[in-house]
Amino acid sequence: MSAPALQAAAALPVRPRPARGSAWLRRDLREIALVGVTIATVLVVGAFHRDFMSLQNLRFMMLGCVVLSLLSLGQTVVIATRGIDLSVAPVLGLSAMVTGLMAQTGGLPLYGAFAIALAIGLVLGTLNGLLVARLAIPPIITTLGTYSLYSGLIFLYSDGTQVDSVPHAYATLGNGVVASVLPVPIPVLVLGIVLLLMWFIIGHTRFGRAVLAIGNNQAAAYNAGIPVTITQVGAYTISGVLAALAGLMFLSYTGSATVTTGTGDHMELQSIAVALIGGTAIAGGRGNALGTVLGSLFLSVILTALVFVHVPPIWYSAGEGVMILLAVTAGRGARA
Amino acid sequence: MPGTVAQAGSASSGTYRASDIVKSYGSVPVLKGLSVSLHPGRIHTTMGENGAGKSTLFKVMAGLVQPNGGTLHLDDAPLLLSSPHEAHLHGIYLVPQEPALMPELTVAETMFVGQLPTTGRWRRIDWSAMRARAQEALHALGLDIDVDAQSRRLSIAQQQQVECAKALLRGCRVILFDEPTSPLTTHEVDRLFSTMRRLRGEGYTLAFISHRMDEVLDISDDISVLRDGALVDSVERPEFDRTRLLSQMVGREMRTIPRRSWSSATTEAVLTVDGLAHAPSFAEVGFTLHRGEILGLAGLVGAGRTEIAETIFGLRRCDAGSVVLDGAPITGLPTHEIIRKGLVYAPEDRARHGAVLPMTIAQNVSAGLIERVRRRWGLMDRDDEDRIGAEAVSQYRVRCAGTDQTLRELSGGNQQKVVFGKWMGLSPAVAILDEPTRGVDVGAKDEIYELIEARARAGTAILVISSEMEELVRLCDRILSIYEGRIVAELHGDGITPERLGRSYLSHAGLGAAA
Amino acid sequence: MSGGRNDVTARRGASRRLPLGNWERALLVLLVLLTLGLVAAVPGFYPGFGDFLALSENFLPFGLVALGLTTVILTGGIDLSVGTTASLAAIVMAELWTGLHLSIWIAALLGVASGALLGLVNGLIITRLRTEPLIATLATSFIYGSIATALAGDNPPSGFPDSFNRLGTGAIGGILPYQIVLFGVLAAFFSALISRSAFGRKVVMIGYNTEAARYAGIRVDRIVTLSYVISGTTAALAGIVLAAYYSAVRPDMGSILLLSTITTVVLGGVSIFGGDGSIAGVVIAVLLLGMLRQGMLIAGFSDMVTTMVTGAILLGAIALKNLFAGRGTGLATLLRRLRIRPAATT
Repeated sequence: MSAPALQAAAALPVRPRPARGSAWLRRDLREIALVGVTIATVLVVGAFHRDFMSLQNLRFMMLGCVVLSLLSLGQTVVIATRGIDLSVAPVLGLSAMVTGLMAQTGGLPLYGAFAIALAIGLVLGTLNGLLVARLAIPPIITTLGTYSLYSGLIFLYSDGTQVDSVPHAYATLGNGVVASVLPVPIPVLVLGIVLLLMWFIIGHTRFGRAVLAIGNNQAAAYNAGIPVTITQVGAYTISGVLAALAGLMFLSYTGSATVTTGTGDHMELQSIAVALIGGTAIAGGRGNALGTVLGSLFLSVILTALVFVHVPPIWYSAGEGVMILLAVTAGRGARA
Repeated sequence: MPGTVAQAGSASSGTYRASDIVKSYGSVPVLKGLSVSLHPGRIHTTMGENGAGKSTLFKVMAGLVQPNGGTLHLDDAPLLLSSPHEAHLHGIYLVPQEPALMPELTVAETMFVGQLPTTGRWRRIDWSAMRARAQEALHALGLDIDVDAQSRRLSIAQQQQVECAKALLRGCRVILFDEPTSPLTTHEVDRLFSTMRRLRGEGYTLAFISHRMDEVLDISDDISVLRDGALVDSVERPEFDRTRLLSQMVGREMRTIPRRSWSSATTEAVLTVDGLAHAPSFAEVGFTLHRGEILGLAGLVGAGRTEIAETIFGLRRCDAGSVVLDGAPITGLPTHEIIRKGLVYAPEDRARHGAVLPMTIAQNVSAGLIERVRRRWGLMDRDDEDRIGAEAVSQYRVRCAGTDQTLRELSGGNQQKVVFGKWMGLSPAVAILDEPTRGVDVGAKDEIYELIEARARAGTAILVISSEMEELVRLCDRILSIYEGRIVAELHGDGITPERLGRSYLSHAGLGAAA
Repeated sequence: MSGGRNDVTARRGASRRLPLGNWERALLVLLVLLTLGLVAAVPGFYPGFGDFLALSENFLPFGLVALGLTTVILTGGIDLSVGTTASLAAIVMAELWTGLHLSIWIAALLGVASGALLGLVNGLIITRLRTEPLIATLATSFIYGSIATALAGDNPPSGFPDSFNRLGTGAIGGILPYQIVLFGVLAAFFSALISRSAFGRKVVMIGYNTEAARYAGIRVDRIVTLSYVISGTTAALAGIVLAAYYSAVRPDMGSILLLSTITTVVLGGVSIFGGDGSIAGVVIAVLLLGMLRQGMLIAGFSDMVTTMVTGAILLGAIALKNLFAGRGTGLATLLRRLRIRPAATT
């Protein structure tokens, strides 16, 4: 029996791979669907309300999703490792508060604000990562604890004051356009750069693939020689840095920061919601930068559309809730 | 770590020796100082019953488990393996029975996990090189697997084949297979063996674990037989002797397995299964179980025996057929009602399904039917629960410090007795026991057999699922052989001999003779 | 060989059923020390027995939520919707009272019932749609929040009858606050429910090992759904008590409940993975965190600082627990090495 079997195995032709296009379609179904639904929403609502399709409104909707997108990109990386980061909201708030107060009272230049935000995100994110990876505290508990800690820091630092005006440079960062011939809002450009970076990191670096491998199967990843601890810490560090950057963008866009910035409207839960809508699996192992940003943009478009069709804003979060449920159940159907 | 996977053919020639390996878990010795040596261009088979220590030995040799004593030598150089990754770097690769999946990643990426090839100044992943080399490695093994497919879509056989290719990609010269054939179909086994032969031809060092005598005799160059953590025999190709190997495995002459001299079987049907089917696991399963009878379900792992039991117990839906218990149909009823009607099932995997290890003996015993515990003010009476637990402990001779000990602290045999106590305390009409002595040490096995026999004498009809021939031969009044989801033979009375039983499901070529 | 092994297991047996485990005892000692310390160090913390007891009115609503949430976490799940459930239930009550002119007590009962219903929705989404509890309750928390805001309108009702407000701020004989009575009764009830009832036993089994529970014939989906109903009910009750405390309702009044309650439950020794934990531990944690917060507030620290301390305590406590269990790397390994030596000498 053995010899013929051997020959039979050897003689088997290698199955021709399916056309590249169909594989691409299958893999990127989520993004295609999100783009489709977003465009459809714009067209349908635009057909009834011309203003909805105006350049100004489109720009507004894009601006509206920048802060949440940045936050959710970090969340995406953490969820892909099978973790969760609740502390993004206070990190955002702390970054906005610290840079905002320094700018308001001390005239901190913009590059200094970037450096400070980066440092805040780096330190706080890494602390989360160390607690999770080195002390084996479950991510949800770790970041719940640091949520309280970091919220307290905001309060201590602000000491009852708040930011209500920022220097001109900040306002330009938050609301200006790149150039008059190129009317792309600067925040959108910032988001574009970060998205490109995250897309590259998740999809095309060893670190990013290690993040996904750990989310898929931590023990197997370790057995294959992946540096699990460093990768996990790195994921939380990225999340912290992006949350801090989101804080700076928030400050520049709105020109204000208070003690409850970020935590007040539960940005941490929103960022999880966006990551889920974008096709990241809560059980880890699947993370998608482009999907996350598209999910956030979709959310922004839908919420603005609701304004146009006169749905009271109180129903927006219900819409978000329904979308989360649809996203995860639809995702399951596509994978089955 | 090198940026690229080293190509096969590193300097080592691949003679791998394990000497005097000792390993124990807590106070339980698993390996008692045994030595094996693997040679390039040869396939080394390790045989032995469940619990003989085969898997542990392989895990020690692959860096997954740290031994308490003994040494490893690769080409006479001593080796210390602190992780599987380190073993890979030394060219040693273990293909697990059910490989650890990265379900969301593509096949190509799974193959390169931890060693993704990069290119350019930004060290970005070289996807095209990765895909090409993955394709090449699979092709070299004559495998037809789409490298762009998601790993979750692979069958277990394909996962094993991918693991083989992974070993080649990592330049490993020593490949260990942990009982690869158990979950595979005959055709898949043939494919695996052709791969193994091909590797042997190219001078790789191969070792594998198997229970199936036919395939072992077919493919091996060297055979080691393990029993209770020690090496009892080791033979080279021309000296293979089926009978001798079998008796070495079980520790006595196969012919002398004691059969019960008595039978409590009656002719009163308790459980009638008719035309039961659940695609793709099994089909057209029908049999009758009588009061006081012990019926065996023989077959290989993956033949569909567990699935049949779980379907009868209401844990899986059935596609067709009926199950009648004491004259009343129970087909499709939920599990809790089936238990109430007097049918119980002790699953194979105690840690995952059979018991809640962090809970106490009393709590595990009462879990079978919590309503059994007396109530006081609507609350469970702890004294009554303790009484029920203590009854089970004494009746089933569980060795423990008290009924408030957690199951985790008990040995496998005593855990199994607690599981028995939980179900048998209900005096069920039918009890299905799936691998009742899995993970039970040799001394406690006889005790378990006695408990099963005592229960049969008390009138319970018992269905025993087992992969150990000796167990079935010793216990059963009647045995059904299952092969790929169908009943292919029935043995009873004096017709039950190890040879006929073995032929009935081990080598399907011999089906006619067995029936 | 098996005989030898069983000699090893032949120990213990005498240490049967201490009322509290190690974790709970440590928390209790901490609670006593903290309370004594606060009484001694913070002027005004103990103005008199009655006023001292009245301090608890500020934090017992958290305790109510914690009781139900513990049930869910013991099954291995989580309920992120407790905050908005509390708000929604309180608003339902208030609207029934003003809109339909129902008696406030009947309206309160219906409010609690609405909480049970919201919990049922959670449970059904989780068990029927096979959704992760975290996702399902995240989604419903958004939805319930919207409904609460919509129902409340611009001017949510306030100014409930005094007889009702006493539920939040009144005391029996001016000494024993009604909230303490309510919490005490419910804590006793939940303690019995979790550790002594068939339901509680099934909850714990599911938390430790869902598959084994299924193989033992336990109707897992039903028990899990029921645990969310319970969580919704206690959250609603907390919302009603808060409404009585403030004599007003607001759609965001429950949002402070969520994170601090999870903190309390985890600090109380309940494993976030399910199975392990006790109501006694959670009750002690409620008192511990509540006393700490009140003490710090009276001592002049702000709310946010106490939140910060709470977070630090949570992290420290779980880190310590892991250290002693020998989990994690780094510090834990160090400790393990240190521990091996004394063990070898004894």
